[in-house]
Amino acid sequence: MPRLDPVRRFEPAEDVQLRAELRDLLGLGAEEASPATVPTPELKALAEDIRREAWRRTRTERKRPTWGLLAAAALPLLVALGGLGTWGHQQKQRADALALQAQRQEQTLQQLAATHASEVARERQAKEEVQQKLQIASKQGNRKGEPYLVIPVEKPLRVGSEDYQRVKQRP
Amino acid sequence: MEQSNPETPFGTQEAFQTAFAELYPRLVSYARRYGASFPEDIAQEAFVILMQREVRVEHPTAFLYGTVRTLSLTERRPMKNQNLSLEAVAEPGQAARAEEMVLSQEVRERMRLLAPTFREALWLFVVEGLSIREISDILAIPEATVKTRIHRAKAQLRDQLNPSGGTHAQA
Repeated sequence: MPRLDPVRRFEPAEDVQLRAELRDLLGLGAEEASPATVPTPELKALAEDIRREAWRRTRTERKRPTWGLLAAAALPLLVALGGLGTWGHQQKQRADALALQAQRQEQTLQQLAATHASEVARERQAKEEVQQKLQIASKQGNRKGEPYLVIPVEKPLRVGSEDYQRVKQRP
Repeated sequence: MEQSNPETPFGTQEAFQTAFAELYPRLVSYARRYGASFPEDIAQEAFVILMQREVRVEHPTAFLYGTVRTLSLTERRPMKNQNLSLEAVAEPGQAARAEEMVLSQEVRERMRLLAPTFREALWLFVVEGLSIREISDILAIPEATVKTRIHRAKAQLRDQLNPSGGTHAQA
């Protein structure tokens, strides 16, 4: 019976008793303390081969990728993503600044348009006032006569040979 | 560079050679019990796997038996159905041939009449001399289940000895 495990030195008495009963039922007889097995040279050589094989495998088998290796493998991707993020952030800030500038320009234009419209309205109002005054003045002038000066000219009924005036004597 | 005197799961190199000399034939027999085509290779592979473990194994003997059992059943499991439970291919193995090498005809006959699950636990407990805890580790079942199987095996053995039910009925 193997009793080779360093931590396996104690077994409950009831288990020992149960094993003895079962051996008895199977007709195996009482358990005898077998003498310590002396390893033969062949088994010793085999054990040494196995130990060497385990040692070789431990140092040659490819280990599972550790977190460090995974992080190193993912580093270029992370750098690319970081660069892309920085570039995107800069583009966003630039777009925000342009949008703000456009908004200010639009406000300025709106203010100019409003000023212009108020000036146009004022001029229109002044023109209307002048027209009203002219209309009022015209109505008042019609009562006395024409608003302009009329000079009557008596034209000759026929054009005669003497119908001219000599301004210089003939030589 | 190989270490000059590395620690083994069984302690010193001499302790490992002694354990190997005692356990190797048993493990070969255990692999043969599961119908392994190359039981020697499986037993050696189990030792190599144990020596490769970086974490200290609490019960090296149980670890070896469990590894041999898994490797043997995996070898027998059809390649196209690797997800099949190992328990499903546990029977029929070449248990009879393995038992022939250890047990007498009468004992073999008694063992053969037991249920396969009870026979497995009984073999490990009585013939291999493993503890309840180790059998629990090997079969990957709770210790209480191991005890139950062994006690039921004991009851079935008593039934075989007293078909009329004398001893078992009184127990």
